[in-house]
Amino acid sequence: MLKNRYLAFLFAMMLLVLAACGNAGTKDSAEKVKKEEPKAAPTEMILATTTSTQDSGLLDVIIPMFEKENNVKVKTIAVGTGQALEMGTKGEADALLVHAPAAEKAVVDAGDGINYKRVMYNDFILVGPKENPAGVSGDDIMAAFKKLADSKATFVSRGDDSGTHKKELGIWEMDNIKPAGEWYVSTGQGMGQTLQVAAEKKGYVLTDRATWLAQEKNLNTLQIVVEGGKDLMNIYHVMQVNPEKHDKINSKDAEKFVEFMVDPKTQDVIEQFGKKEYGQSLFKKYTE
Amino acid sequence: MDLLIDGLKKAIDMILSGDQEVFAITWLTLKVCLISILISTLIGLPLGIFLGLTRFKGRRLLLMFINIGLGLPPVVAGLWITMLLWRSGPLGGLTLLYSPTAIVMAQILVSLPIVTSLTCTAFQQISEKMLLQIKALGATKVQTLWLLIKQLKIAILAAIMAGFGRVIAEVGAAMMVGGNIQGDTRILTTTIVMEVSKGNFDIALALSFILLSVALLITAALTFLQQRKRIS
Amino acid sequence: MSPLLELKKLTYQAQRKMILDIPEFQIETGEFLGIMGPNGAGKSTLLKVLAFLDQQTSGEVLYRGQAIPNGNAPLELRRKFSIALQQSLLLDGTVFDNIAIGLTLRKVPKSIIKEKVEQWMELFAVSHLAKKNALYLSGGEAQRVNLARAMIVEPEILFLDEPFSALDFPTKIRLMEDFKGIIEEAQTTTVFVSHDLMEIHFLTTKLAIIVNGEIKQVGPTPRVLEHPNSSTVSFLNEWKKFYPVAR
Ligand SMILES: Nc1ncnc2c1ncn2[C@@H]1O[C@H](COP(=O)(O)OP(=O)(O)O)[C@@H](O)[C@H]1O
Ligand SMILES: [Mg+2]
Repeated sequence: MLKNRYLAFLFAMMLLVLAACGNAGTKDSAEKVKKEEPKAAPTEMILATTTSTQDSGLLDVIIPMFEKENNVKVKTIAVGTGQALEMGTKGEADALLVHAPAAEKAVVDAGDGINYKRVMYNDFILVGPKENPAGVSGDDIMAAFKKLADSKATFVSRGDDSGTHKKELGIWEMDNIKPAGEWYVSTGQGMGQTLQVAAEKKGYVLTDRATWLAQEKNLNTLQIVVEGGKDLMNIYHVMQVNPEKHDKINSKDAEKFVEFMVDPKTQDVIEQFGKKEYGQSLFKKYTE
Repeated sequence: MDLLIDGLKKAIDMILSGDQEVFAITWLTLKVCLISILISTLIGLPLGIFLGLTRFKGRRLLLMFINIGLGLPPVVAGLWITMLLWRSGPLGGLTLLYSPTAIVMAQILVSLPIVTSLTCTAFQQISEKMLLQIKALGATKVQTLWLLIKQLKIAILAAIMAGFGRVIAEVGAAMMVGGNIQGDTRILTTTIVMEVSKGNFDIALALSFILLSVALLITAALTFLQQRKRIS
Repeated sequence: MSPLLELKKLTYQAQRKMILDIPEFQIETGEFLGIMGPNGAGKSTLLKVLAFLDQQTSGEVLYRGQAIPNGNAPLELRRKFSIALQQSLLLDGTVFDNIAIGLTLRKVPKSIIKEKVEQWMELFAVSHLAKKNALYLSGGEAQRVNLARAMIVEPEILFLDEPFSALDFPTKIRLMEDFKGIIEEAQTTTVFVSHDLMEIHFLTTKLAIIVNGEIKQVGPTPRVLEHPNSSTVSFLNEWKKFYPVAR
């Protein structure tokens, strides 16, 4: 008897919550419609990309441009390239902006990614402690990695399946070296944190130039030791997720996004980005 | 040390200059956390009272699960909610992933067990005799409940504060289900993580001061409510 | 005329154990009934059943000749009764609010509550404690507040379960004297449970002796104490050794 009354009370409370939620929901959508009155409500598109593009600040500049032009709301999810590609394969994203050409090729070949276009590049650089204990320099990254392995100088790896991590593993592979041992530190974190770990441990680390430029001010124990070689190109591609493979893919906006990224106007904005702050472009235009 | 002072200066700067984005992020943080704790309270309080005052088969098992929930790591909660909300998941049709609603869901998941369990503990300690005495004073069921809630105000508010602390400090789940999307799901904790990864320690520190101030303000308000009019 | 409260063929069992077995029993308007018996005799259980706060296993409780549905007494009926227990069980709040609670729950207007609370605080000599937190009172003060809280609603029947037994002797005597005066003035029908012969002798007009869940003897208090029957004689004689009841 007592129990029943409490049950009833509980039930009433639940109803109240549901009612409140329902109200909030309708009110929200009503508000949205009102705000965008002249236009239709914006469609939503999920862009899976890498932390490096977000951390550089480039996306904060170009995404709002795209949103405004096309009345789209872009949900940018910044993760490692591996996870971004996986989101594409699973149909959890609509468009991908990534930088691991070998892995990307597999996704495109499997038919999960379509409308695959080259967008821009910057370059990877090897940074290391100012004392440079392994004595590496120049522009030959393969020779430098060999030297690092031979001297067992501390090397800090992202270890997070990101584009940069994949690039690093590719170089070790070309050198036929399996990096392991106490000198090889894997952080499993983003570029920024990994650079900070390298600065603390006085280790060598492969990074993209954009992140390096943005973070240099906090990393005064490190300097650039190898740069400029052809193997150090960091190429970004954009693609849309194949709408035939999954439900709920927003292919209309994804297609527009691909076009937008290779549009000359956007390309100019990309090339200009960072010039003011760092005196050089962080990304260079590189369409096909 | 310099960095600390810089951060503090920057925080004050951000607040005084009325930085739109910081304001929006703080507002969203507040909104998301308050809605989460409100819903957790609306469900957890009656549930805790019910579990504390009644005895039925399966009650212990239920309590055990709730107590396990006390230690639920936010990233686990985040992972579950993510899988639930995936386009290919059971609730994919709602397109809630990477929205503030998703963050609210994850935060309810981590704070509900706290509110429920602490409320239940408080109500379980009410003696049979006290319940009898209140009934004998001529109270209806609803009046009894109301009297007990007033009697246990301190414990109930402590439960809510503990839940709120969990919610406002939480970052793993919010990052995973919210996606830290600018102008949409970026809250203070996820922004701090992002700024640290960008190497902007001063901004991160400034935001941490703002976060602490918000947490402090809310907790102070709840504490005030809790300790008000305590006569001796 | 039917009695105020009446029990018929009442039994109360818990875990297959017979705790009360009372073929018949009456409470008349205006009497101060003592219920006395050893620990575990079933006194508190009987009180709860009489006050409609617990359900009997079988049998009936009648109010003014009318059988009341078991475990489902209407609120208005429950609100005609008041109860005060051994522990005062006061709520976290002022003494004033504690004494007022019965009236507050009955939605009596504030102005009347204030007037009545002041009057009852005066009667129980606790006016000076009005603004104190009830949880920080001494045992004697708390029990005075407890009794005032029970009496303020002017119940048809006041049930008391060993309200004095946790008090030290001088405190107990002082409170009992005050209480006796108040009850005589208000003429409230009272059911008073105690295992203490002194309290029973001092306060009650009628006495029921309960042993092992059965009422063994009922009658005017002096007569029961003077002429115990075969089943109550041993219990009462034990007590009389320490507290000789003079005649
Ligand atoms: N809910 C219950 N379950 C089991 N036994 C009970 C319950 N309530 C009372 N009893 C038993 O009933 C007997 C009478 O209890 P009570 O009425 O409290 O006695 P008294 O007040 O005379 O000391 C005791 O033996 C007690 O242990
Ligand atoms: Mg008893």
